[in-house]
Amino acid sequence: MEIRTAPFAHDAKENESTMKLTLPSDIYYVCWRDMKRFLSQKSRILMTLVQPLIWLVLMGNMMSGMTNNPYGARMLGVKNYIDFMTPGIMIMTALFSGTFCGFSLVWDRRFGFLNKMLAAPISRMAIPVGKMTATSLQITLQVIIIGIIALVMGVTFSSGVFGFLLIAIIAGIFSFAMAGVSLSIAVFFKTLEGLHPILNFLTMPLMFMSNAIFPKAAMPNWMKIISDWNPLTYAITPMRTLVVEGWVLEKIIPGLVITIGFAFVMVLISTWQFNRSIA
Amino acid sequence: MKPIIEVENLTKKYNGGVTAVKEISFQVEQGEIFGFLGPNGAGKSTTIMMLNTLLSPTSGRARVAGFDVVEKPDQVRMSLGYISQDLAIDDILTGRENLYLQAGFYHLSRKKASERSKELLDLVALTERADDQVETYSGGMRKRLDIAAGLIHRPKVLFLDEPTLGLDIQTRHQIWDYINYLRKEMNMTFFLTTHYMDEADALCNRIAIIDKGIIKVIDSPASLKNQVRGEVVCIQFSETSEDKIADALPIISSLSIVENVKQRDSGCMAVVRDGDTAIPEIFRVIHSKGLKINSVTLKKPSLDEVYMAFTGKTLGNERESNGNTHRTVRT
Ligand SMILES: Nc1ncnc2c1ncn2[C@@H]1O[C@H](COP(=O)(O)OP(=O)(O)OP(=O)(O)O)[C@@H](O)[C@H]1O
Ligand SMILES: [Mg+2]
Repeated sequence: MEIRTAPFAHDAKENESTMKLTLPSDIYYVCWRDMKRFLSQKSRILMTLVQPLIWLVLMGNMMSGMTNNPYGARMLGVKNYIDFMTPGIMIMTALFSGTFCGFSLVWDRRFGFLNKMLAAPISRMAIPVGKMTATSLQITLQVIIIGIIALVMGVTFSSGVFGFLLIAIIAGIFSFAMAGVSLSIAVFFKTLEGLHPILNFLTMPLMFMSNAIFPKAAMPNWMKIISDWNPLTYAITPMRTLVVEGWVLEKIIPGLVITIGFAFVMVLISTWQFNRSIA
Repeated sequence: MKPIIEVENLTKKYNGGVTAVKEISFQVEQGEIFGFLGPNGAGKSTTIMMLNTLLSPTSGRARVAGFDVVEKPDQVRMSLGYISQDLAIDDILTGRENLYLQAGFYHLSRKKASERSKELLDLVALTERADDQVETYSGGMRKRLDIAAGLIHRPKVLFLDEPTLGLDIQTRHQIWDYINYLRKEMNMTFFLTTHYMDEADALCNRIAIIDKGIIKVIDSPASLKNQVRGEVVCIQFSETSEDKIADALPIISSLSIVENVKQRDSGCMAVVRDGDTAIPEIFRVIHSKGLKINSVTLKKPSLDEVYMAFTGKTLGNERESNGNTHRTVRT
C-alpha cells in the first residue's frame, strides 16, 4: 500500500504549539454556543421578560398599601414599595435563571454533546466557566431590561446611570456564582427530572430567607441569622442601596466584595466538581 | 512506520462491576479502515471511549498517533475525531454554526474555520441547508453534518461509533463513499464499529470480532470468510422447546460431514463440507430425535456465518439473556 504523508500531520503540529493559551478562547466558544441557544429560543427570552414584569406590576400594586402606612414605609426604608421591590425582582431573576444553568449541563450530557466537547482538546475548566459566563451575560441583559421597565413605571435610581449599570453587573456576578452552584450539583444528575426538585429546594429558601422581598426589620430573629449567611443578602444590599440611597459606599463595597468572592469560589468548586464527574 | 493505534491488554471495568472490555490488544496501521464488529453490549463503544480519552482504562495501555491516551490526552484529542453513537450536534444552531463551533473547539483560526466549513458542507452536500437550524434537518442530514464536524480539524484518525445506524440504504452508501474518499485522498485512518455485516464487508480492510469484551478474531473480511469453508445449512424447527433442540445439536455435530453447528433461536446453523449429501444425513438424525423441521436453506458462507462461528449469535437476533451472561459481578 502506498503511504503518503498525510496533509493532516502538519496541521496537528501547528495546533499543538498554541495549546497552552486556549483557555480564554475555549471559554468563549462554550459561552458563544450557550448565548446562541439562548437568543434563538424566543419563548425563553419572552418568559424571562414577562415574568419580572408581572411581578413588578402585581407586587408593586398589591403591596403599595404597605408604604401608605408610615410604619411600613419606615421598615422598608422607601417611599414606594416598588423602589424596594425592583432590586428584589432583579435578584430573583438572577437567582432563578442562574440556577437554571445546571440543566444545560445535564442536557448536554444526555444528548451526547458533552462527550463531544470532552473529546475535543478544550480545557476542562472552560466547560463550567463558559456556561457560567453565558448565564451571567444573559442575566445582565435581563436585569438591564427590568431596570428600564422599572424606570418607565416611575422608579428613580438614586445613583444615576453608572449606578444602574453597577446594579446589572452585581446581578450578573451573583448569577455567575449561582450558575456555579447549580453546575456543581448538576454534575451528578443524569436526568432533568432528577435535578429539578433539588434546585427548587435550593432556590426557595435562598429567596425567602433574605431581605430580597421582606425587609430585614420585619424578620423574626432566627430568620435574620439565616439571612446573614445568605449570599443573596450580600448581593441585594448594594443593589438596593444604589436604587434607594445612591452611592453610599460603606453599604455597597462589602456586599460587592463578598459577591465577587462568592463568584470566585464557585469557579473553583464547579471546576473541581466537574472534573470529578468526568474522571 | 509505527501503527497509528496501538492497544495492549486494555481493560475496562465499570463501577457497577461490569467488565466491558477484557485485556484486548490490537494495532491499526495508518490509512486503514478498521472495523469493530460485535453484538449489543460487546464493549465496542467502551473501547472507542477509552481510545478517545473519554473513559480511563482500568488497566492496559493505548496509544493513538503515538501518544498515550492517559499521559498525553490533549495531543491524542488533537489527532482524532470522534463521531459518537448519539447524534451529538446542537440542533438549535444552524449547520454552519455547528461547524464553526467545532472548529473553535479545535483552535482553528476563523479564516480556516470558514474555509473548511465551506469545503465540508460541499462534501456532505449540505451547502444549501447550511444556514437552516439543524432542528429542520432529516436524520441522514444530521448524521452527515455530524461527520463533517468530526472532520473539521482534519484528524489523523476518525472514530465512528455505528456511523450508519438507522440510515437508509442510499445514505449509508454515501457515507461509505465519503469514508473511502477520505482514506484515499487524505490517508486518514478509520476506526468504526458496526452491527452491519455488509458494512464491515464492503468497507473495512480488517475486522475485529468482539464479544463479551473479548476479541475473538482479527483479520480481513476475505480471509475470515475463507476460514468458514464449505456451505451452511440453516434449519428451522417447528418445535421450539429449547431442551429438545439442545439435545439434537451434539448429534448433528457428531456427523462426520458436519464441521460445526450452532443453535440459532428455534433452529440451528451447521457448517458442512458438502450440502447436498449433508442435508439427508442431518434430516435422518433430527427425525430420530423426534423434532419436526419447518424449513431448510443452503447457502454459501458470508460474514454472517463467520460472525456466528465466533460469537454464537446472529446480528440482530441476540436475546437479552445473551447480553447479560458476561457480567462478572464483583462484591
Ligand atoms: N456507564 C456504564 N456503567 C456501567 N456499565 C456500563 C456503562 N456503559 C456501558 N456499560 C456496560 O458495558 C458493556 C459494554 O457496553 P458498550 O456500550 O461498550 O457496548 P457496545 O458494544 O457499544 O454495544 P452497542 O452495540 O449496544 O452500542 C455493557 O454490558 C454495558 O451494559
Ligand atoms: Mg455502542
